[in-house]
Amino acid sequence: MTTADSQTRPRTATAPKRARAGRQGNRVSVLDRPGPSNLLYILPGFLIYGAFVFLPILAAIGISLTDWNGISSPVFVGLDNFAKLFADDLFYKALGNNAQFILYYCVFPLLIGIVLAAILSSVGTRQRLALRTLFFLPYIMPTAVLGIIFQWLYNPAFGPFNQILKAVGLGKLALPWLGDFHFVLPAVGAVATWYFFGFCMVIFLTGIQRIDPSLHDAAKVDGARPWQSFASITAPLLLPEIRVVLLLTVIASIKSFDLIFTMTRGGPSNATLVPNIYMYQLGFQLNRFGYAAAVALIGAILVFAVNFVIHQTMQRLDKVSQ
Amino acid sequence: MSRLTQAGAVLPSRIVLWLFALLTVVPFGLLILTSFKSQADLMKGAFVLPPYPHFENYVNAWVDGHFSTYFTNSVLVVVPVVAISTVIGILTGFAFAFLSFPFKKGAFVILTIGMMVPSEAFIIPLYYEMLNLRLINTYWALILPQVAMSIPFATIFMASTMRQIPAELLEAAVIDGATRQHVLWGIIVPLLRPAASSLALFLFIWTWNEFLIPLILVNDDALRTLPIGMLFFQGKYTVNTPVLTAGAVIVILPIVVVYLAFQRKFIEGLTAGAAK
Repeated sequence: MTTADSQTRPRTATAPKRARAGRQGNRVSVLDRPGPSNLLYILPGFLIYGAFVFLPILAAIGISLTDWNGISSPVFVGLDNFAKLFADDLFYKALGNNAQFILYYCVFPLLIGIVLAAILSSVGTRQRLALRTLFFLPYIMPTAVLGIIFQWLYNPAFGPFNQILKAVGLGKLALPWLGDFHFVLPAVGAVATWYFFGFCMVIFLTGIQRIDPSLHDAAKVDGARPWQSFASITAPLLLPEIRVVLLLTVIASIKSFDLIFTMTRGGPSNATLVPNIYMYQLGFQLNRFGYAAAVALIGAILVFAVNFVIHQTMQRLDKVSQ
Repeated sequence: MSRLTQAGAVLPSRIVLWLFALLTVVPFGLLILTSFKSQADLMKGAFVLPPYPHFENYVNAWVDGHFSTYFTNSVLVVVPVVAISTVIGILTGFAFAFLSFPFKKGAFVILTIGMMVPSEAFIIPLYYEMLNLRLINTYWALILPQVAMSIPFATIFMASTMRQIPAELLEAAVIDGATRQHVLWGIIVPLLRPAASSLALFLFIWTWNEFLIPLILVNDDALRTLPIGMLFFQGKYTVNTPVLTAGAVIVILPIVVVYLAFQRKFIEGLTAGAAK
């Protein structure tokens, strides 16, 4: 629900607030009447949000400190679940798979997106808008349904992908993609790349259009080839967009559940197991709710950590490039 | 606009462009094509056109596959979630933009926490909360949590647009004796119509696509929404690919229609937020 793109909103919202307060000398709005009536505006939102999001988040922290099968009363075990987690081979397997998925959720879409945006910025407006609409299409789709569609496309017996491979004489490559221990992760990852590259492209395209064209003209006069001008002008100036794309796609990979759940359920033999799938199995199939909550919390902590690291790194890069 | 349009660079780059366009289109094309085939047509090859379109796949999915139920449920969940979240977003956003109240900064931090924590992290306590409230297997189990999950984004989105309204305009209204309710609903909200409709659009797509909440909080087939219904339908009908693909078209068609109708608003709304 709070999809990836929402991650950057808090920053966009705080900036104008500060600017405005400065301009108006900290004066509050004429609409403000300090007193209980102000609370009427925030109460409905905070009651619902508190009851169905914030309290459950706090409760998840509590549950992660217990041993609980969902029926008998939970037993407090302190940090035992986290200690067990750091000795759990399957958990490391899930983290390792997630690291590999980052390649497909993040690195490939970023590279494809930036190249396509550079090409697309040079075509006519009509074609550009049409292709932009098209490339963005996968991003609005329900990933769960895409998972089901691609499971059929990958089907070893009658799936269209293998039919194409056989038709072009590559029958040897017609593998049972989702059943093969080695190929399943790239096969699922490819769907993630397919899902995200258009989104990355659209963000980069907006960024490229923001860049002053005279910079490129100057480079051309100096004899720079298009590729050089792209590498030395466009790419560095796209740092803000690169940050946004990195942030959104890395977080999306940590949150990944729907696509992998519908395509493989984490299999075969845990080859596509990621923390959220592991959480689902532990909690809703094995009734180990305390342990499952600990896994889920590590995922949330990773999201915060990635947010922090990317912001820090990019700030440093910003300073270097200025 | 002619930065790369130089001899030699044009053709290979156009080929790359059209290759990716093809990659995007082919899965959808195959999906639609297959949804009009019979089981026998399927054996003739993925790209072979059927002799005549088999619309009965859609009837089968709609009636026997219960997609009519799933579709109704999706609408019955999406409409209240979008409507309630947008109204609450306006109220709470108004408070954050213009009003003072205790612990305002802390309240803002609490909202952003809910935006960052993945719903997988708190689905277990949420499930037990719903169980204790006896709301499991009701529409409330689908509506209330999704409204709650939309509130942080809706609030922050609305607050940041409201702050862009010129203060003079609101001051003039107050001097004219307008009440606060009147300023909000009579002046601010009409000005915010473009932003509010963007918000409703995002919320519509996210709620329509939501998977985890209905997967966990509802296990009665009569209450399943489209993505979950599709999952269970696949379990029952793996062999009947044409009906499965017809079902997939039913799920994605409404979003594609909405997307194509509002694509400019949608893409620009998303990138404007992301670029700042």
